[in-house]
Amino acid sequence: MKEKFALKDFVKKHSSIAILLAIVIVAVLPLIFKTSQTRILCRILMYVTLAGSLNLINGYSGQTCLGQAGFFAVGAYTTAILITRFHISFWPLLLLSGIMAALIGVLIALPILRMKGIYLSMVTLGASEIIRTIALNWQSVTGGAFGIKNITRPQIFGLTIDTPQKFAWLFLIVACIFLFVSKRVLSSRIGRAWMAIREGELAAASLGVEVAKYKILNFAYGAFWAGIAGSIYAPYLRYIDSSAFTLDEGFNILSMIVIGGQGTLAGPIVGAVVVNLLTEALRAISNWRYVVYAGLLIFMMWKRPRGLVGENSQVTMVTGEKSIKKNRRKGAVK
Amino acid sequence: MEYVLSQLINGICQGMIYALMAIGYSVIAGVTGMVSFCYGDLMTMGAFAAFYMFEFAGSNIVLGVISSFIACWLLGIIIYKLCYEKFLNAPRHITMICTFAFGIGMRNLAQILFGEARKPVLNVVGNRAIILGKSIRITMLQITIIVTVIILAILLSWFLNKTKWGLSLRAISQDKTASYVVGINAKRYSLIGSCLGSSLGGVAGLLLAVYYQTVYVTMGNALSMKSFSATVLGGLTDVPLSALGGLCIGVIENLGITLTDSSFRDLFTFSFLMLILLIRPQGFASKKGARP
Repeated sequence: MKEKFALKDFVKKHSSIAILLAIVIVAVLPLIFKTSQTRILCRILMYVTLAGSLNLINGYSGQTCLGQAGFFAVGAYTTAILITRFHISFWPLLLLSGIMAALIGVLIALPILRMKGIYLSMVTLGASEIIRTIALNWQSVTGGAFGIKNITRPQIFGLTIDTPQKFAWLFLIVACIFLFVSKRVLSSRIGRAWMAIREGELAAASLGVEVAKYKILNFAYGAFWAGIAGSIYAPYLRYIDSSAFTLDEGFNILSMIVIGGQGTLAGPIVGAVVVNLLTEALRAISNWRYVVYAGLLIFMMWKRPRGLVGENSQVTMVTGEKSIKKNRRKGAVK
Repeated sequence: MEYVLSQLINGICQGMIYALMAIGYSVIAGVTGMVSFCYGDLMTMGAFAAFYMFEFAGSNIVLGVISSFIACWLLGIIIYKLCYEKFLNAPRHITMICTFAFGIGMRNLAQILFGEARKPVLNVVGNRAIILGKSIRITMLQITIIVTVIILAILLSWFLNKTKWGLSLRAISQDKTASYVVGINAKRYSLIGSCLGSSLGGVAGLLLAVYYQTVYVTMGNALSMKSFSATVLGGLTDVPLSALGGLCIGVIENLGITLTDSSFRDLFTFSFLMLILLIRPQGFASKKGARP
């Protein structure tokens, strides 16, 4: 126990050194790991960006978006189509995929400005499903049910990024850029506006926050990073089809941020690590794994409804009374 | 033209089933104030319960309806206890994740228990048809389905409007705190409402299985979303309007696929929904921003 506290103090005191250390450790990991383990690392790092981008929408501006798989699909398909049809270099496409996803995000955000709660979720969910249906049926462009095969691997300075090892580094770099930029954005006026909208739309509007503008910006920004994650995902697998972007995928991403803790930057990272490792670990019990996974998910919601990183305070009424009692015992509540 | 007319009949029949799903869903959404994402899998369970009843006691649709009603009522209790009771006042996404997880668990458990193969549900209703025109015909199956849904809807509306339980259910779906004040046990009636909604969903699952003449584990995947969209169209808590929403979606789907091929089915559902929500953000409901 003592060591753990020492580590915590160290992280608090020298946060930049700790973060740098963590990045270096993760960067070294692909050198040690076997290929199969590196693939898991790739998945985790991809979901750090993907879940993080959803967290920016759900956690920071309080709009319950369920359609992140749709933005992910837009990014992946943009890259896959342009790279196989026109042989454009990967790097401009990376940016273009993000921008495409952001445009779709704006398109979805426009109608939902007037909506709240479940209606909003429903529209984002429907949009995601529409994107998937189009991808499944627009045979001439997206390849329909056969998907797109043989997506060219990206090259940089004559070096082809082909092994999972190199992709792990690429995913890591993108995740770091994502976290760094998001941190800056969140501490700027834009981020504070998002949080103000989350806490109370009316109050935010009365304090001079242009709610509509910032909501659209929020969706565009979240979708942008989901698009970028999709853009790397396509050449990483070399093959994409619409079955990778179902609603279940959207919920998978959502479960990561809820398990990790909404509204914190570290939450999606923890969530991505926990969920991916869990699904890998449960692979051993083949048929039963989703049953066990479902049980664990519900258990987690019962125990930590705010997520692993979120504050410990309970949000539920039943346990809310309990936690007040507990706090009273500690002397926190008078 | 004849093709369109016969598609319209198909659409009405399917819309009736969707209406039943939407009624059940809106009862759940009304009393708990939460959404459910395991509804489609619940319907699958209802269909399976009826399937085993048919195997066991012969193809009798009344027996089937009763068995899926009871099976889904029991499942509804579990769902309520696991996913709703503790989180009635919590943020909505927690219930979403819980019901979604329960749905996955149930689907995969069913896959282990019942197997992945499609099972035929044949000869529940005779194959006769009433011929109205060259290619327009109504089968006995369709009539049975429509009649079943209408009977259930009438029973439900009697239950909600004339009995004490129904009154309590409507009260807590309007305001939980206020109904506590006038002495209604909100937790108990939430449980009853959630079970009732689940049971209606189970019966809808049975009807779909009979309509398509097959039952399989993953049949509920798309249905969860469809009942959700039908309910959202109807303003989420309003029972008759949700039924209307379901009917609309069924008709639009079947008319839509006369224009293109049937793989675009879901596209029409969601496009129609988004279009309506664009014009009326509250759906068909008259009151603006009623609840959630």
